[in-house]
Amino acid sequence: MKSALRKLGPAASTVLSLGALLVLWEILARLAQIDGFPPATEALVQVPLILGERESLASIGASLWRMFLGGALALCFAVPVGLAMGRNKRIAQALNPVLTAAYPIPKAALMPIIMLWFGVGDLSKVLVIFLGVSLPLIYHSFHGAHAVDEKLLWSAMAMGMKPVARLFKVVLPSALPDVLLGCRVGLAMALIVMISSEMIARQSGAGDLLFNALDMALYGDVYAMIVILAAIGFVLDWVFERVRRRLVHWAESRQDAMVPGGGV
Amino acid sequence: MSASNIFAGERLRGTAASVLPLAVILLAWEAVCRAGLVAPTLLPAPSVVLLRWIALLPDPDFLHHVAQTMIRLLSGFAIALAAGVSIGLLASRGGGGLLEPVIRVLAPIPKIALYPAFVLIFGFDHASKIALVVADAVFPILLATFHGARSVEPKLLWSAWAAGASRRATIFTVVLPSALPSILTGCKIALLISCVTVFLAEMISSTDGLGHLLIRSARSFRIVDMFVPLVTISTIGLLLNAALVAVRNRLLVGHGNHR
Amino acid sequence: MSEPMIAIQGLTKRFSTADGRRHLAIDDVNVEVAEGEFVSILGPSGCGKSTLLYMVGGFVAPSSGAITVQGRPVTGPGPDRGPVFQEFALFPWKTVLENVMYGLRQQGVSKAEAEARARALLDMVHLKDFADFYPKELSGGMRQRVAIARTLAYQPQILLMDEPFGALDAHTRTVLQNELLGIWERDRKTVLFVTHGVDEAVFLSDRVVVMTRAPGRIKKVVEIDLPRPRVRAELLVNRRYQEYIVELEQLIEDVHLEAAGA
Ligand SMILES: Nc1ncnc2c1ncn2[C@@H]1O[C@H](COP(=O)(O)OP(=O)(O)OP(=O)(O)O)[C@@H](O)[C@H]1O
Ligand SMILES: [Mg+2]
Repeated sequence: MKSALRKLGPAASTVLSLGALLVLWEILARLAQIDGFPPATEALVQVPLILGERESLASIGASLWRMFLGGALALCFAVPVGLAMGRNKRIAQALNPVLTAAYPIPKAALMPIIMLWFGVGDLSKVLVIFLGVSLPLIYHSFHGAHAVDEKLLWSAMAMGMKPVARLFKVVLPSALPDVLLGCRVGLAMALIVMISSEMIARQSGAGDLLFNALDMALYGDVYAMIVILAAIGFVLDWVFERVRRRLVHWAESRQDAMVPGGGV
Repeated sequence: MSASNIFAGERLRGTAASVLPLAVILLAWEAVCRAGLVAPTLLPAPSVVLLRWIALLPDPDFLHHVAQTMIRLLSGFAIALAAGVSIGLLASRGGGGLLEPVIRVLAPIPKIALYPAFVLIFGFDHASKIALVVADAVFPILLATFHGARSVEPKLLWSAWAAGASRRATIFTVVLPSALPSILTGCKIALLISCVTVFLAEMISSTDGLGHLLIRSARSFRIVDMFVPLVTISTIGLLLNAALVAVRNRLLVGHGNHR
Repeated sequence: MSEPMIAIQGLTKRFSTADGRRHLAIDDVNVEVAEGEFVSILGPSGCGKSTLLYMVGGFVAPSSGAITVQGRPVTGPGPDRGPVFQEFALFPWKTVLENVMYGLRQQGVSKAEAEARARALLDMVHLKDFADFYPKELSGGMRQRVAIARTLAYQPQILLMDEPFGALDAHTRTVLQNELLGIWERDRKTVLFVTHGVDEAVFLSDRVVVMTRAPGRIKKVVEIDLPRPRVRAELLVNRRYQEYIVELEQLIEDVHLEAAGA
């Protein structure tokens, strides 16, 4: 079995294990006989119905759009900050306590406060996603820049490169594997913050759809939404991993395929 | 207590120099509030939050909420630790072919989306929140264990085998100790995730705990009381992180410098 | 002498490379090592010396051919063959003493006895004051002494040494060569010793096996007929010692030229 799976290659074995998980779900649910835990088949039939509805599709699309905005803003802001921290002790020392204190705070938990300031519109949601993505990005960029080979920088200095040019031409490329790892963690983070902030704000979006179904006791819909969100998470991660591999194929894959987590 | 600095590889040197910027930010915030530049209903002064926090600390009701959060956080983390290390070790040894693809499917799923399912299955009490903490915290530990155990220097294993150690004995005397730095890094991430997750779960549906306190205060627009749970969870996270750093320094005496 | 300690017959090793091709690392190697003999393996980088040693150790499986130790085929690692690696491979989480005790403890020796024997060995390698240090707190030469003590502790009949002094500075290397020779002359273990150093091979060995460039075959086996106990200062002015050095240097040069010509 084991060697057979290995021979199949990662794509096939992933599909197989996905199927196995669904079968396991089906069996467990049929054995358990709980209202709130319908079998996989009952949930899966709802998926096309939800995606077929224009309103819910638009809602999910809007969620993803906010996620993209927040993530893009974070990328522009957090990477330079992290790189600068990694190369400059002063900057690192100055920002370290602030970031350390902010780390264990759930960013989505700021939602009620940010809504007081900016209302319930898109701005608040994008802002929260931006905050959530920024921290892991800064963290990994910092580590990447911190570990840059001094001698590369010395040669760049000897060639007369200015500090800002060094940051983008030497530090960024060498730190790229770490930065991209940070992006991957940030991607997972963005999704989590998006869902939980919508669960808390309960205005619109994918998280809201999920809880509306729960409130109305439409258990099939609840699980269908979970499947949709899980699929979004899986597909985004898969796409990003392809891109990442292509960009840093020169660096040996220190941290292998499956590394979400790494910062919150 | 040593500063539990998440962002510095080395121990902070000039403590004064590093705390200064934070102090400047807080003072500026205080000044803005005192000068009346923002409405106190939107942004309370840090001194007001701090005083309120200190006043609440001995309050049994507040402590009850803190305790509820801590129970969920710590039991969830403990279960995730036990499960993550054992599954990670198993996957890195024999069971890799079967477990790896399953982990690859489950790891990128945003676990918070599972929370409604946990509520439906485990009810509104502790169990559903602990389940969410476990689901979120187990993967960093599991993956860290897996990678740590996979990248054991083969010559260490060979040395142990040649010395007559059995395969099973080398798991405990070689694989686990070599993977320990990696496992502890995973724990650090998992601990922070646990703080975040438990708080969110309590915000989404709960009748007690710090997250619930924030939501309760938000409903009545008591802005100061909204900041208090945030300060508390941040403090808890930092204290737990400091404890983990202490454990780490204890356990990793022989290992070289690790992040 | 009857049965050889180590017998290697028709040993071949192929590796499959990342792109699926098969790479011949070792081709039809035949060697016998007698009990108590010190044999060095000399050859250009990448010719398969380490691989050969790992196969004798039972860490790597041969593609074809047979290895027997005291008449029994090798199927895996065992405490009759103790490895010493260039990278020391000490357990970083254990102190010097605990490292040396490891093998004894794994074989069920009581803690008190294991400690006593480990301390005696540390004394022998001049490290008795460093028992409670961690490997990272020691110099390279000290670490390799610990690694040797750790292997000697479980009393293997055979020592498999893969460039054990390769990562050390010239002075430390000669000091450790002398110590190793002292230990060997005392209890006459069988030693298989991989090295790049011609002078090291001649100084230590009874025989030197010279290997060709990849795929590794045996080019020539040179008997080193020099009196023991060997003293470096005397050997340096010994005519035969000098001739062995010249002969082996010439062989190594030939190996390189052959490869360049091919
Ligand atoms: N695990 C492996 N997988 C694939 N090829 C290998 C592996 N180990 C060794 N090789 C190949 O086998 C050949 C011999 O390697 P080996 O390490 O035994 O050489 P060596 O003589 O010890 O070299 P050096 O003197 O540099 O230590 C090399 O071409 C190497 O690329
Ligand atoms: Mg070698």
